[in-house]
Amino acid sequence: MQRRQFLKGALYGTGGTLVALSGLGAATTALNPRRVAAAVPVSRKTVYSSCEMCRNQCPIAVKVENGKVVKIDGNPNDSAFGGVICARGNSGPSLLYDPERIKKPMIRTGERGSGKFKEVSWDEAYTYIAQKLKAVQEQYGGEAVAQTSHIGPYDAFFQTIGKAIGSPNLFSHEATCPMARIIGLNTTFGTAAINADYANTKYLLVVGRNFFEGIHVAQTRAVAKALSQGTKMVVLDPRFSVLAAKGEWLPIKGTTDLAFMMALANVLIDEKLYDEEFIKQYTVGFDKWAAQVKDKTPAWAAKETGISQDTIIRVARELAQAKPHSLIEYGWRTTFTADDFQLRRAIMIVNMMLGNFEVPGGYYQVKDAGSLKKVPAMAAYAKKLGPIKAPSFPKPKKGRIDGTGEKGTPRQLTPIADGAVGQITETILTGKPYPIKAWLVHRFNPVMSIGDTEKTLAAIKRLDLLVTCDLYMSDTAYYSDVVLPECTYLERTEQVFDMSGLTPKYVLRQQAVDPVYPDTKPAWQIYKELGEKMGYGQYFPYKDIDDYVERQLAPTGISRKVFAKKGLWTPAGMKPFYVRSSDAKASLTLLATKSKKIEIFSDAVQEATGDGVPVYVQYPQPGEGEFRLIEGKVAVHTNVGTHNVPVLHELMPENTLWINAKSAAKLGLKTGDAIVISAGKYEHKGTANVTEGIRPDTVFCYHGFGQISPQLTRAFGKGINDNKLIPDQLGLVGNSITSMTFVKVRKA
Amino acid sequence: MEQETAEELYLSFAGIFQRPRPDIARHLEELIDLWAQEIPSSEKVIGELRDFCRAFPAGEARENALWGEYIPLFETGHVEAPPYASVYLDGEGLVLGREAEEVRNFYLSSGYGLGSEQGELPDHLGVELEFLALLAGTGSWDAAQSFRQKHLLPFLRVILPKIRATERPVYSQAAELLTSWQLGQC
Repeated sequence: MQRRQFLKGALYGTGGTLVALSGLGAATTALNPRRVAAAVPVSRKTVYSSCEMCRNQCPIAVKVENGKVVKIDGNPNDSAFGGVICARGNSGPSLLYDPERIKKPMIRTGERGSGKFKEVSWDEAYTYIAQKLKAVQEQYGGEAVAQTSHIGPYDAFFQTIGKAIGSPNLFSHEATCPMARIIGLNTTFGTAAINADYANTKYLLVVGRNFFEGIHVAQTRAVAKALSQGTKMVVLDPRFSVLAAKGEWLPIKGTTDLAFMMALANVLIDEKLYDEEFIKQYTVGFDKWAAQVKDKTPAWAAKETGISQDTIIRVARELAQAKPHSLIEYGWRTTFTADDFQLRRAIMIVNMMLGNFEVPGGYYQVKDAGSLKKVPAMAAYAKKLGPIKAPSFPKPKKGRIDGTGEKGTPRQLTPIADGAVGQITETILTGKPYPIKAWLVHRFNPVMSIGDTEKTLAAIKRLDLLVTCDLYMSDTAYYSDVVLPECTYLERTEQVFDMSGLTPKYVLRQQAVDPVYPDTKPAWQIYKELGEKMGYGQYFPYKDIDDYVERQLAPTGISRKVFAKKGLWTPAGMKPFYVRSSDAKASLTLLATKSKKIEIFSDAVQEATGDGVPVYVQYPQPGEGEFRLIEGKVAVHTNVGTHNVPVLHELMPENTLWINAKSAAKLGLKTGDAIVISAGKYEHKGTANVTEGIRPDTVFCYHGFGQISPQLTRAFGKGINDNKLIPDQLGLVGNSITSMTFVKVRKA
Repeated sequence: MEQETAEELYLSFAGIFQRPRPDIARHLEELIDLWAQEIPSSEKVIGELRDFCRAFPAGEARENALWGEYIPLFETGHVEAPPYASVYLDGEGLVLGREAEEVRNFYLSSGYGLGSEQGELPDHLGVELEFLALLAGTGSWDAAQSFRQKHLLPFLRVILPKIRATERPVYSQAAELLTSWQLGQC
C-alpha cells in the first residue's frame, strides 16, 4: 500500500505527464486548451517566415496542418526567390521532428568529452553559468570571457551578455568565411553592402565561387537566369566545380588568382580597354594601381597561374567588350591566402575599370533605408527601423586578444563585430596577451570550424567554463560544461531583419508551430533570462520578442500584419534603380569612404599594411608528391551544421577526396580506394575519388564531414574532417587561411 | 492480475522510462521489490538491478548514473532507442508522426490530455505506460486493452529489444522485465 501511494504521488501528482479532462484520473488539472485545439483534425495554414538551414535566411512559406509542419516552400511574395527554396530549406521538417535534437538544458557530470550529462531546469542552468562567469570575472576580469556565434539575429541577444560583462572578445564566424571580402569592400567603397546584379550581366568571371553548390537561392537563380539568356561565364578554380561545368573552366594554380587579376588590369590598360571616364570621375589612386600592374603582363601571369597568356588576354578583351555589363565575382568564402582581402580589392578594382558600378549587370550599393536617405528622389521610401534603447555597456578594460582595431597594424581593418575567431584557441593555450577562461558559443562549432581540431580540443580542456547553445549535440557541445537547447527557426519568432537589395526589404521570421520539445527556447529568451539572472536585465529592456518587433516597427508605420500576410515588406511603388542606369555621370552619393570616391588606393590599407594598392605575393606551390588541399560546399549541407539532419544525411552521408587521374595513377589509386591523407602533424583516413576534374597538384573534399561528436549518430566519423588537417593559421587581417595546406596521399 | 497491481506495474515502468527524477531514483529499491514479486523473471535480472542500487546508493550519484544512461539511450545526440513510437511506426524516423497523433486522440477520447508542465510528446514510452496506469486504476479495461493492442504492444515489440541490446544498467533490465510482463517472453 505504501509503495502504491509513492508511485501515485510521484506520477499522478505534479510529476505526471497526463492530466484528466473530466476528472477520470487522479489528477484534476485542466487540460491545456492549446493542446485540445491541436487535436482537432484538419486545420491548415501557411506561415510566412525565413529559413535558417543556412545563414542566408531565405523567405519561406511554411505549410502547417493540424499544428504540424508538412512542407516548406519559398515565399512566393518575394520575386527574388520566386517561391523557390533549396534542398536544405526543404529539409526543415526533418530537423524539426528529429528525435536526436537536444531537448533540455544539460550540465556535464563526467570528464569533459566523456559525453556524460544530466538534464537540469533552465533556472539551474542559468544559475550555474552565472556563478561560473562571475568567478571568472572576479579572478581574471570580464575580458577573460570570449563569445562566438555563427552570425545571425541571435547576436542581438547573445552578444549582449558579453558586452554587459565588459568583454571586448566577441567573435563571429566571418573570419573563417567572407571577412576578407567584407574588408576588401569596406576599404574600397566604405561599406560592405555592395551586391552584384548577376541576372543582367552579359559576362561573368567567377573566382573560386560555386553558385550551384554553395547555394544562395536568389543569387543562384540570378546566375542561372543569366546563363539561360546566353551570358558567357568563365570560372577560375583548381577544381571542375558544378559551376565550372556550366561555363569555361580555367584550372588556375591555387593562391595565384591575384596574378590573374593584375594581368587583366595590365591588358585593359595596355590596350586602353578600361572605362577611363569612370575611373577619373569616381575613383582615387588609379595611377598607383597602374604602376603596380605595369609589369604584371599576361606572360608573367601565365607562369604564375598556369593559365596561358592568350587566354588571359582573351578574357580581358571579352570582359571589356561586354562592359559595363560584365562582372568579376567578388567571392563568398574568402580564405584562400594570408592577404586574401587584397585579392578581393583587386577584383573590385578591375570591376571598376569596367565601369560596372551602379548599372544593370554590374555591382550596386544596397538600397536600404539608411542609404536611400542620401538620394533625395528616393528618400521618401526610407523607413528606418526603430532602435531598442538600452543603457550603454561598460567599456572593456583591455583591448581584444586578436588586436582587432589596433591602428597601424593590419588588424585595424578587421571588423570589430567579427574579429579573428581563430585567435581564441591560441590565446587559451598560451595565455597571451591575457587569459581566456570562459567561452560562450551560440550556433557555432569551433571544434570543426577553427583550423586544427586537436588544438581546439586541447584549448577547451583549459577552460573554466564552456557553454554551447545549439540544436544538436554538436562536436563543441559534446565537450561543453553546459548545453542549452535552442528551438528551431520554425518554432520561434525573431526580430525584423534587413534584406534590402535594389529596394529596401524587411523580413520577419515568424513562429510556425509550437516547440516540438517544449523545454527548448529561442535565443532572445535564453539570453534575456540569463542576463536577468546575472543582474543585467537593464540591457534587455523589452518584454518579449513581440514587444521587440513593435519597437522596431513603431517609427516606420509598417504594420505587423504586413508580415503575417506576406512575410516581408518592400515599399509600395518603388522600382529597383541603379544610380547610373540613366545617367552615366550621376553622382555616387551613397559612397561611404572618406574621400567620397572609390578608393583604388586606400589610405587605411596603406596605414595598416603599407600596401595601399594590392601587391602580388607569391605563395609556395606544392612540391613533388604533395598536393594543395582545398575544400568547398555541397548543395545539400551547410558548413558543419546539417550533416546530422536525417534527410540531408541520407542525401549525402560522407565525402571523398578528389584526386586527379594522373596523380592517382602514380600512387596506384583508383576510385573507392581507402587512403590516408597526411598533413604532416595529422593524418586522416578517407576514400579516393579519381577524376579529371581537378588539377594534378590539388586535392579536394567537401567541408563539414567526419564529425567527432559520438552523439551525432548519423554524421559521426563519416568521411574526411578537413578541419583536422588544416592548421589554425591566420592571415593579415585575422582571416583563417584554408587553401595553403599541403598534404600527401597514400593507399591505406 | 488485479487492478491495483496492474496499475502499480504500469506506474513503475512509466516512472523508470520517463526522465530520471530524484523521487524515482530514491525509491528504486521499492520498484525492484515490486517487479521481483509480480513478474516472473530470472534472479540474474533482479540481481543486476540490486547491484546497481548497491553501487549507487540513493542520492546524487545514483541520479547522475541514471542520467548517464538515460541521455544516450533516449534523449540527445546518439539516441540508441528513441522513446517515441512515431519514430518506429511511421517509417520516417521522425517524432510527432501519425502514431503520435492517434495516441493523443486516444487520450482525448478517454478523457485525458497532456499536461503542459512536463512537456513530453504523447507517444513517449513513459507517457503511454502512464496512460495505461490511469486506465487500470479506473478499471477501464476495454479501453486499456484497445490501447494496448493498437499502440503499446507494436511499440514495445520494436523498442524493448533495442533497449535490452544496449545493456545499459537499470534500463536494459527494466526492458527485459517489461518484455516478460507485456510480451510474455524473456
